[in-house]
Amino acid sequence: MWRGGRYLLLGLPGAIATMLVPPLLAAAALSTGLAGAGLVIFPRALVALRRWAEWNRRRAAGLLGVPVSSRYVSLSQGIRAQWRQVLDDPETRRDIGWVWRHIATGIPAGLAALACIGTAVFTVVAASLWWLFPADAPLRLLTAIPVTSWSWALALGGGQIVISGLVAFWAVPKLARFHARTCLAALEPSDADQLAERVGELSESRAGVLDAHGAELRRIERDLHDGTQARLVAIAMQLGMARETLPEGSEPLAELLRHAHEGAEEAMSELRDVIRTMYPPILADRGLAGALAALGARSGVPAEVDLGEVGRLPAAVEAAAYFIVAETLANAAKHSCATRVLVRLTRAGDSLLIEVTDDGIGGVAEARGTGVIGIRRRAAALDGTVLVTSPVGGPTSITVELPCGL
Amino acid sequence: MRVVIAEDNILLSAGMEYLLAAKGFEVAEVATDGPGFIAAVQRHRPDVTIVDVRLPPSFRDEGIHAALEIRRARPGLPVLVLSQYVEQVYAKELLSDGHGAVGYLLKDRVSRVSEFVDALHRVAKGGMVMDPEVIAQLMTTSQGKNTIQTLTRREREVLALMAQGLGNTAIGEHLVITDNAVHKHIGNIFAKLGLPPTDSGHRRVLAVLTFLNNQP
Repeated sequence: MWRGGRYLLLGLPGAIATMLVPPLLAAAALSTGLAGAGLVIFPRALVALRRWAEWNRRRAAGLLGVPVSSRYVSLSQGIRAQWRQVLDDPETRRDIGWVWRHIATGIPAGLAALACIGTAVFTVVAASLWWLFPADAPLRLLTAIPVTSWSWALALGGGQIVISGLVAFWAVPKLARFHARTCLAALEPSDADQLAERVGELSESRAGVLDAHGAELRRIERDLHDGTQARLVAIAMQLGMARETLPEGSEPLAELLRHAHEGAEEAMSELRDVIRTMYPPILADRGLAGALAALGARSGVPAEVDLGEVGRLPAAVEAAAYFIVAETLANAAKHSCATRVLVRLTRAGDSLLIEVTDDGIGGVAEARGTGVIGIRRRAAALDGTVLVTSPVGGPTSITVELPCGL
Repeated sequence: MRVVIAEDNILLSAGMEYLLAAKGFEVAEVATDGPGFIAAVQRHRPDVTIVDVRLPPSFRDEGIHAALEIRRARPGLPVLVLSQYVEQVYAKELLSDGHGAVGYLLKDRVSRVSEFVDALHRVAKGGMVMDPEVIAQLMTTSQGKNTIQTLTRREREVLALMAQGLGNTAIGEHLVITDNAVHKHIGNIFAKLGLPPTDSGHRRVLAVLTFLNNQP
């Protein structure tokens, strides 16, 4: 009861002060008329409201013993960014909703608590001073009974204190908890908001994973190039020299060396394939633009590559884009009878959009291993989508969307 | 024959030095980056140079840029470019000044010592050597291209061998045809690719360049 009472009694002036929030916010907004002062003040007023709501929320959570996460904001730079920040924030709407509920429940609950405690205090004072009341208008306790002697005063006063104490004992914690729950509910994100927040967190963590993965790809490519590949070349070189210097007539040894040499050459060739399918070295050497230009230059069907402003892309997305373009160009050369292919890469929000259009005969049969499966697999690995339109008679157009998560 | 090498990997440059010394080359200097290579060439005036594509500081295609730059300063300086992977565009860029004396090989090929030395000699003499993988890339992707389509299968084979830097006799031996037949095929290739009958060494480069360019 004491915690609840303290909570409610402290909350009462708080709730009364909260009544000032709507007029203050309105004044902040209207002050825009004063040389645009409101432009600066209004976002700050909303931040101040957030701090006030947070203070109250912490008290409510403390009373209920539930954990809450912080919702504090720090304003970004620039007036326009600040406005967008506070207005886009769903928490702002919640703060304002909370203002009304806090006032509507905090004031009555606070007054009720005050009434219980006030009655007890009043009874003590009034009962001890009953004799000061004039005889024609005596002190009345327990709502109606007049107090006319010390024994009456003690009996009625004690009774009134016990009753108001019982009422307070029963009602104050309930009221306090009711108010605290109302406040928390008003400030708690809805399921949809929580879901949206979770999606945001996940996209962010995926972007982090993609970035880390890209850095790993580059590092592995570099390490293999400088380490394993170079070592294999050196070994093959030594084997080659050994074969050269072997005197005539050492047949079994020559045969062994030949096997070793050919084995080293095969290993180099396999390693080259592994690296190429993991992270094409030309991407490391020339970036996506250079790598795509190289693909276009050696395409079987004359290809025009149009790489717009795509910004920074994770290495894994660059590699996937490279393979997808390589695969679509190879398909066009093999199946389409096209005379031109247009490859266009654009940035659409968070995604990289790859559009490959040819002027061929169309009728791509996905089931018959036309390479579209490979494209779908590459895209799916990055949560991307593939759209193939290829009516019989053409033309074929393949659109791939790869989320970049940045 | 004096050689300047640009290679930042000690393991490989040491191996190459040893190999070249054994084959009677004189390695004048091993540079470890692009600017160092250009300075070394200016200092030693080598007969032939060997350049790794990936060099410090960027570890990208520094070697290609260094080779192109030094050939702008010294047109026709023989350059053999080595790399752990081949890209058609690099071959095209190296050949595009039309001076020949260019080689572009996978590093793997160095271990085939006598073939490698042979290639080095051919580049030093102003010839051209393309890695079989570059040719393979061309052969698989250039079907359907107008210019190449007009060539017969045999002519394409001849062109591929020409790109690898083989002379007429070697091409004849390879395809088991007479020198005369090779000569006729090459004449046809030049005609179909629209190359004027000027000096024939130059035309060989142009033919391969057309091939690389894939343009009518």
